[in-house]
Amino acid sequence: MSGQLLVFQVLNGIGIGMIYFLLSVGLTMIFGLMRFVNFAHGALYLVAAYAAYVVSQLTGTMLWALIAGPLVAAALAVVAERLLLRHTYAMPHEAQILITFAVALIVQESVILIFDPLAKNVPVPAFLSGIVFIGPFVYPAYRLAVVAVAAAVALLLWLVLERTRFGAILRAGSESSEMVSLLGIDVHRVFLAAFALGGALAGLAGALAAPLRGVEPFMGLEALGIAFVVVVVGGIGSFSGALLGGLLIGVVQSVMSSLWPEGARLMIYGAMALVLLTRPAGLMGRA
Amino acid sequence: MSAFREGGRFPDWSSAGVAVALLTLPFVLPTVTLASELVVFAIAALSCAFLLGMVGLLSFGQGLFFGIGAYVAGILLEQHHWATLPAVLLAAVAACLTAGLLGLLAVRQRGVYFVMLTLAFAQMGYFAMLALKQHTGGENGITGVPRAPLLSGLGPLAGPEAVYGLLAVVAFLAFLLVQRISASPFGSVLRSIRENEGRAEALGYDVRAYKVAAFALAGLVAGLAGAMHTIFLGFVPPNVIELEMSERLIIMSIIGGAGAPAAAFLGAGFYVLMADWLSTLWPRWLMLIGFMLAGIVLLMRDGLWGGAAALSRRLRMGRQTRG
Repeated sequence: MSGQLLVFQVLNGIGIGMIYFLLSVGLTMIFGLMRFVNFAHGALYLVAAYAAYVVSQLTGTMLWALIAGPLVAAALAVVAERLLLRHTYAMPHEAQILITFAVALIVQESVILIFDPLAKNVPVPAFLSGIVFIGPFVYPAYRLAVVAVAAAVALLLWLVLERTRFGAILRAGSESSEMVSLLGIDVHRVFLAAFALGGALAGLAGALAAPLRGVEPFMGLEALGIAFVVVVVGGIGSFSGALLGGLLIGVVQSVMSSLWPEGARLMIYGAMALVLLTRPAGLMGRA
Repeated sequence: MSAFREGGRFPDWSSAGVAVALLTLPFVLPTVTLASELVVFAIAALSCAFLLGMVGLLSFGQGLFFGIGAYVAGILLEQHHWATLPAVLLAAVAACLTAGLLGLLAVRQRGVYFVMLTLAFAQMGYFAMLALKQHTGGENGITGVPRAPLLSGLGPLAGPEAVYGLLAVVAFLAFLLVQRISASPFGSVLRSIRENEGRAEALGYDVRAYKVAAFALAGLVAGLAGAMHTIFLGFVPPNVIELEMSERLIIMSIIGGAGAPAAAFLGAGFYVLMADWLSTLWPRWLMLIGFMLAGIVLLMRDGLWGGAAALSRRLRMGRQTRG
């Protein structure tokens, strides 16, 4: 592989990695808070990607989907939490896995019912359809914009987590939710907020990814698998781990895809198993 | 989720019920093929229900062992021209050994970490199948698996009825095996691990060794189902080893209720018949399955089997009060 191609693939990987980070933050957050494994997380990404498709069909550009996608996903997260998921908090984790899995199935089938099972294209916004020169390298403008948007959101998220009371509760909750509830904070309400925030971020990931990969009803399941890998590799419950894990998986997948495409996925799931066996707290987690 | 009951006798009335069901299915259902599909998935769901109901292990990896059974049988029959019975046995042994090895690793973790490990293994299996496409056919699967004789020297398995006969025998043996284990001292230890792992360990049982043994055994049953899937279908579609297969087997065992070995048969039967009847009426029938799954988790923890048992209890009570 030439140096030029390698740099291009690494840059691509960073773009995809930022999307993976947004996708995974919510999953890692609610696991950290309540040891809750959310198999419906991919469905949030799925509905937002379809929101991007609808917006681009209606308005001719997917730009408004950057707002609509996160809103739809957050709304779905809140509805699912209120109607179904909260009844399983006191149940064993198998019940939580099964109920979120049921939600994922219902959402996926609803998407096929409303649209159809075929893959659809979402055009890149016109003003971002060109290429940019970064030194001697050319790079698609849209991918650069994805990195910029994701980086801005990551910064904002960091500020919220580090500088606000809500962020402090979230961080404390993922360390020890018992302690936080002993301090008089309603953990279930924090959890609902985290669910909505995580849903919105997964929705943003879905909307940003739609022009890159198109939309199809099974993209949620695929995204769920990736998000699990990112969360496990980065460290379950760790925000910085989700960033590191997302970038790592994005770059590895992107570089491997031009060397040995079938091996790329085998490798990342191998990495997931390896981390789970040897360092279950993840690369950035405290052992 | 519900558990296999303590003190199950062997054989009990459910053994007879399963035997009767296996004998009558091809006559009750519209086609023998449908009956065969039902029985294949009944064996596979049994593997999931055994892990969940006996040891309390939720495995997203049973599709992997099903897939290994399907592929090993397909490769032996199509490329090496083996007879049916040896191919099925070797396929089941291969799935059992893989499950034993992966089980050695997986039981090092508990709870959600265990679930995620089985998920990672299942995904690795699928992508390994794609990477080894010169042997597995990649996304095309293995087509044209011949219908070989049961043992070399005998005549070929003629027609779907003969295949169903073999399937019914295999399913009944797998069912008896699981039921026998459930009623054995080994089964009691597994149940005690499910109830309270720490206590079982404190009593001196090597909990990990028991879990590995259970995992390997479930792998054997899933591999057996996968191999029979190849025999009955005559080809190996790549979806046998997809994550979606693992999920389907979990759904079947949860709907059935994992409350007894026969519950898995009930769950698989319900799923396959729903798929067959509803898919022509309403292609999005999986949505109903999703609602049903949510309902079972929230309201009817013991699944269809538990529901039926409660109903029969109530009927019996009613008769007693009247009499």
